[in-house]
Amino acid sequence: MQDLLYFFQQLINGLTIGSTYALIAIGYTMVYGIIGMINFAHGEIYMIGAYTALIAITGLASFGVAWLPLILIVALICAMLVSSSMGWAVERVAYRPVRGRHRLIPLISAIGMSIFLQNYVHLAQGSRNIGFPALIEGGFQFGSSEGFQMSLSYMQITIFVTTLVCMTVLSLFISRSRTGRACRAVSQDLGMANLLGIDTNRIISATFVIGAALAAVAGLLLGMYYGSVDPLFGFIAGLKAFTAAVLGGIGSIPGAMLGGLILGVAESMTSGYLSGEYKDVISFSLLILILLFKPTGLLGKPEVEKI
Amino acid sequence: MRTSVKKLASAVSTSIALMAAGQAAAEIQIGIAGPMTGPVAQYGDMQFAGARMAIEQINANGGVMGEELVAVEYDDVCDPKQAVTVANSLVNDGVRFVVGHLCSSSTQPASDIYEDEGILMVTPASTSPEITERGYELVFRTIGLDSMQGPVAGNYIASQNPERVAIVHDKQQYGEGIATAVRDTLKDQGVEIAMFEGITAGDKDFSSLVTKLKQADVDYVYYGGYHPELGLILRQARQADLDAKFMGPEGVGNKDINTIAGEAAEGLLVTLPPSFDKKAENQELVKAFQDKGEDPSGPFVLTSYTAVQLIADGIEQAESTDPFEVAEALRSGSFQTPIGAVQYDQAGDLKSFEFVVYEWHSDGSKTPVN
Repeated sequence: MQDLLYFFQQLINGLTIGSTYALIAIGYTMVYGIIGMINFAHGEIYMIGAYTALIAITGLASFGVAWLPLILIVALICAMLVSSSMGWAVERVAYRPVRGRHRLIPLISAIGMSIFLQNYVHLAQGSRNIGFPALIEGGFQFGSSEGFQMSLSYMQITIFVTTLVCMTVLSLFISRSRTGRACRAVSQDLGMANLLGIDTNRIISATFVIGAALAAVAGLLLGMYYGSVDPLFGFIAGLKAFTAAVLGGIGSIPGAMLGGLILGVAESMTSGYLSGEYKDVISFSLLILILLFKPTGLLGKPEVEKI
Repeated sequence: MRTSVKKLASAVSTSIALMAAGQAAAEIQIGIAGPMTGPVAQYGDMQFAGARMAIEQINANGGVMGEELVAVEYDDVCDPKQAVTVANSLVNDGVRFVVGHLCSSSTQPASDIYEDEGILMVTPASTSPEITERGYELVFRTIGLDSMQGPVAGNYIASQNPERVAIVHDKQQYGEGIATAVRDTLKDQGVEIAMFEGITAGDKDFSSLVTKLKQADVDYVYYGGYHPELGLILRQARQADLDAKFMGPEGVGNKDINTIAGEAAEGLLVTLPPSFDKKAENQELVKAFQDKGEDPSGPFVLTSYTAVQLIADGIEQAESTDPFEVAEALRSGSFQTPIGAVQYDQAGDLKSFEFVVYEWHSDGSKTPVN
């Protein structure tokens, strides 16, 4: 009985972290799906989202605002605004001028952007770990057995619900709205979409903005869940989310969600049943295995040579 | 635009001229190498504050053999790669005495370079035994070893008669070293160790680890590493209602753990060097720090002060600024310092150094336990 509870507890832990990986992975996968480049600065956008949320929360607290929903909504809006304008600006400054050149050039530009943003936050906010206030505390306790109690915190529920809402809204947006349809068209054939009168530059910008906004949501959620932010934490989270995107099939939005969840659960099961030391080993071995045996990822479509 | 370039150029040339003038007036350069930035910069602050104060006071008392000490400061970010770069630039700058580095994993690679290039190094904070195990002539420290700190922590935990103990570390030289020392002590005392496991430094998600600790039903968790990770573990453990007592080495004992862990830091046990700032004979020095608006209570402030003072005393006793002769003088002499009477053994370790168990509070203060 205790073993079963332990398994479910680790599953909850894994799904929590996995759903935030999925939120970040969306940004990678959408950009890749549309212009075929890996936006390595995406992890930094996520980190900036977390910092903005923290600054907004601290600011509100200093004005004496104590009503939790208001704090959360304002922090979320601030983080999304700053991150999306950052995402937009990054595309404008670092990617658009080199679009259409050799594949390596935008990639290197992205890595440069990532280093720049990391160091910018380093200078602006200092390099120390800054504590994130615990705004949502407490949770449910159930299924106690031999001293082991399963728990599901309100914070974890918030993460599931927010991720679910974001994903649903995004899916509806992509499948139903006019811009969404244009996104799909651009991802199928950029040149043709352009000929048919779609403003492809605008669509590409929109992709960056949407990805960055979702990363900001993940930044706020994870900041509150873990409890601290530092300028380097976007890098490893970005790497994990990228892994999740490739795992699920880069370019596919449901793939990013699935990849994120699988990666999160794999990590928590590894540290739960093997040892925390092997967590990253397992997640990156998973990436290599997928690349060897199913290079398009779990839900990716094989790329058809465009003539 | 043009004028500002001119201004810059003139400022640069003036500072070059000043630097040249400085070297002409026969000064003794003391390198201070430690983290000014990065996740453990707060320890660097302690180191720099202590060393600067010592240099200031020695100069106010007429310097060393009539020459002034000059601080040259380097930032190693507590990163082994950066530490090597710093060590090389120290060599280039002609510095022959170093107070540093702070993190054991930085001190070790840097000390290879210092030993080869004939630079005397005194680390005020690195506790890894390996640093002085290699028979180097020019390596000293003003702090104890993990092999002393581990048994203090292990014996304390054993004295509380726990049923089961978990030991977690961050896989780095310092953290794993000290965790191993604690494990060995506990084993000798016959305490059951339910878990001995590493985490990744810089990680943020410890929910799986906390769940595992909960299932293992441990009374004590010893963590070998630094505060950013332990702060998060404490906080996530509290959220998951893990009921265990946590203990860590001096690497977790600073006020930043309170901003990360908040209330969850209450009751954390930490082994630290004794509070040198509470000793009666140091009160004048403590006041000097307070007058400058600095806090002398950090674990590495007075050890860094002592490191500078030892270099100065060594030079005076050797009547030479040759690092090898100074090292000889340090090994043979006995020195009165703010951390007590200092005598070195052949390896460059202090002959005696004491660690004390403190209980940490959520407001950042601490009280001695035993």
